[in-house]
Amino acid sequence: MIEPWVVVVVAVVTYLCRASFLVLPGLPQPSGMWARFLDSFPLALFVSLATIGFVAPEGIPAVTPGLAAAAGGVLGAAITRRSLIGTIVIGAAVYWVARLLSG
Amino acid sequence: MIRRPAFRRGLAEGAPVLLVVLPFGVAFGVLAVGVMPGWLAMVTSLLVVSGAAQFAMVGLAAAGPEAILVAATGLALRHVPMSATLSGLIGQQPLPVRAGLAWVLVDESFGLTVDASRRGIDDLVGYKAAIDLQLYTAWMAGTAIGVFVGPVIDPVALGIEVLFPLLFLGLAVPLLRTRRHWVAAGSAVVFAILATLVLPEAWQVTAAAVLAALVGALIGD
Repeated sequence: MIEPWVVVVVAVVTYLCRASFLVLPGLPQPSGMWARFLDSFPLALFVSLATIGFVAPEGIPAVTPGLAAAAGGVLGAAITRRSLIGTIVIGAAVYWVARLLSG
Repeated sequence: MIRRPAFRRGLAEGAPVLLVVLPFGVAFGVLAVGVMPGWLAMVTSLLVVSGAAQFAMVGLAAAGPEAILVAATGLALRHVPMSATLSGLIGQQPLPVRAGLAWVLVDESFGLTVDASRRGIDDLVGYKAAIDLQLYTAWMAGTAIGVFVGPVIDPVALGIEVLFPLLFLGLAVPLLRTRRHWVAAGSAVVFAILATLVLPEAWQVTAAAVLAALVGALIGD
């Protein structure tokens, strides 16, 4: 279970980052490797969360209908021009077909 | 504020975003009640106002607070360049206005406001305030609906657990814009699979994400 203090810390960190330049416009902008790391991190985090969710939903790699969902999600993203809804709907549809076929 | 033309324009142009935000608020509420009390899920949406961070929190709940804080900090830091850009766009404004605009500085409102600036809308404060108001209302309403219906839904029977990785896949795909992003994404897949083989569950996502972002940082623009 997530404790309330974790929520408060996440809220404070998130707000401070959002307010940084709006409240202190003179701050130095991120640059170089640090800027590239910040640019890459959200994508890396989302892909890591997705990969582990598909490949190892219980913490260790296993062959599950989740792998079909991953393929369906990639297909959905491709044919709906990277639409979030398209990725989810087609991925979920493929997952359900795989789940029904696998009994 | 509501009589300002830019505010009304923001209301009109932000309305389609609600169709996306509301269902995801519902999804957050449904999933959140599995890892926190309903009231805390509401407080989370009230205070954090970040779909990415909030879904990451739920996804990493089993990994513990350290993993959540690392992930949330990494996600929050992406708002720093957005804050710098928005600060330049709105120009001289009173501190309370600037602090208020930061509250709902999310991807959607940022994107719409930058686009409005390019289209020559002068009153970006009024425009963004309208977007923010709608987003915040939809996010809170969605969360409340999700918290209400969450306890009567069986996530495994409905296959809801697969929506989680699909959501993150859907969030990742639009971010693939440059060679660096493709390299970082490919690295994240490899590191994530390796992490499941060699690391405890609590550190798998965080380690994979940090290492992949470091690989991405080594790739020039």
